[in-house]
Amino acid sequence: MSRFGRWRVFAALGALLALMAGAARAHHSAAMFDDTKVVELHGTVKELQWANPHIWLQVLVPKDGTTTEWSIEGGSPNSLSRQGWRSTTFQNGDLVTVRIYAMKDGTPAGSFIGAKFEADGRTIGRWQD
Amino acid sequence: MTSSARFRSLVTLVGACLAAGAASAQTTALPDWSGVWAMEGGTIFDHATVVPPNGRSGNPGVREFPPYTAEWEARYRQNIELIKDGRFPDPITTCGTPHGFPRLMNLPDVYEFAVTPAAVWILVENGPNILRVYTDGRDYPPADALWPTYSGASIGHWEGDTLVFTTVSLKESRDGDVILDRTGLVLSDAAKVMTRMRKVDDKTIEAAMTIEDAKALTAPWHVTKRYRKLPAGTWAWDYACAENNRNPVTAAGKTLTLGPDGRPIDKVTE
Repeated sequence: MSRFGRWRVFAALGALLALMAGAARAHHSAAMFDDTKVVELHGTVKELQWANPHIWLQVLVPKDGTTTEWSIEGGSPNSLSRQGWRSTTFQNGDLVTVRIYAMKDGTPAGSFIGAKFEADGRTIGRWQD
Repeated sequence: MTSSARFRSLVTLVGACLAAGAASAQTTALPDWSGVWAMEGGTIFDHATVVPPNGRSGNPGVREFPPYTAEWEARYRQNIELIKDGRFPDPITTCGTPHGFPRLMNLPDVYEFAVTPAAVWILVENGPNILRVYTDGRDYPPADALWPTYSGASIGHWEGDTLVFTTVSLKESRDGDVILDRTGLVLSDAAKVMTRMRKVDDKTIEAAMTIEDAKALTAPWHVTKRYRKLPAGTWAWDYACAENNRNPVTAAGKTLTLGPDGRPIDKVTE
């Protein structure tokens, strides 16, 4: 299946998202995140850690001449795979815009909301709403 | 063969046929709960009493209203205050112990319900967790052979297509080490849960729980959870919580976040 085809499948699986809501927070409280404000990061994927209890997307974000590595957690690989994600969804070096709920204490980390691939405009996760 | 021997053989044969027939009837009467299922709604345990009505489990100030005694209401309020202060970690964050019953009926990810003539197993991907419900006619072990465990001891029977089971010998929450959800709901080791599970329609299984707790509750507490069947062919997977747990919990109860190098990246670690 082409990459474009895969993303159409992802869209068709959107109905599963409602059932799986909360899966990203299946392992620990989300109290550490500020879910009243969406933070947008522009950077380069360093690594996708595809393992339980939830995935981690490491993104290098340049700003004001320095680069900061952000740690962004998502749902479990189990639930994400049922929503169409794959362990190869993010490739090292992908240029992305990622939307997150950031940590309240200013730590460069957060909870994944959605992402857009700069190369072709594809999105994954919650992006339009 | 003498006439009395023939009679004994005949009785034995008839008895075997009747037993086989009964077993066959029971087997064919068992409902089909196959497939992979997901709980409806978020992980608030008692949606009927949650305040605010759209409150999410773990958000500061969100709570439910079980018919607690004054002592256990005070315990619950203490947990709620600790949550507001970020000092009430979910015990499962350490990936070390099961979620326990009845919390295991209130989890994200997916469920499978394995129905057999002698037992029903509720298999929960998250955790993972297993509840074993024996339906083979056994009784509970004697009191001196029971000890409180996370999932307790469950014995059930079928009333038509409804599985009715009672769970006892549950581990009491001490310092929040066993909870029902992230609002800080807890029960004592006197808790007894009677559950009625049935397929409401082809796509829905319902578990109606009546919780009695002579120490913690002043009246029976009724909570119903529902599970929606996922598309045919859906997979449940291994869930190895400790595989890459980047959220250790400090002695003060704060949940940290580890960077990719394994060191905390939190600005405040205590």
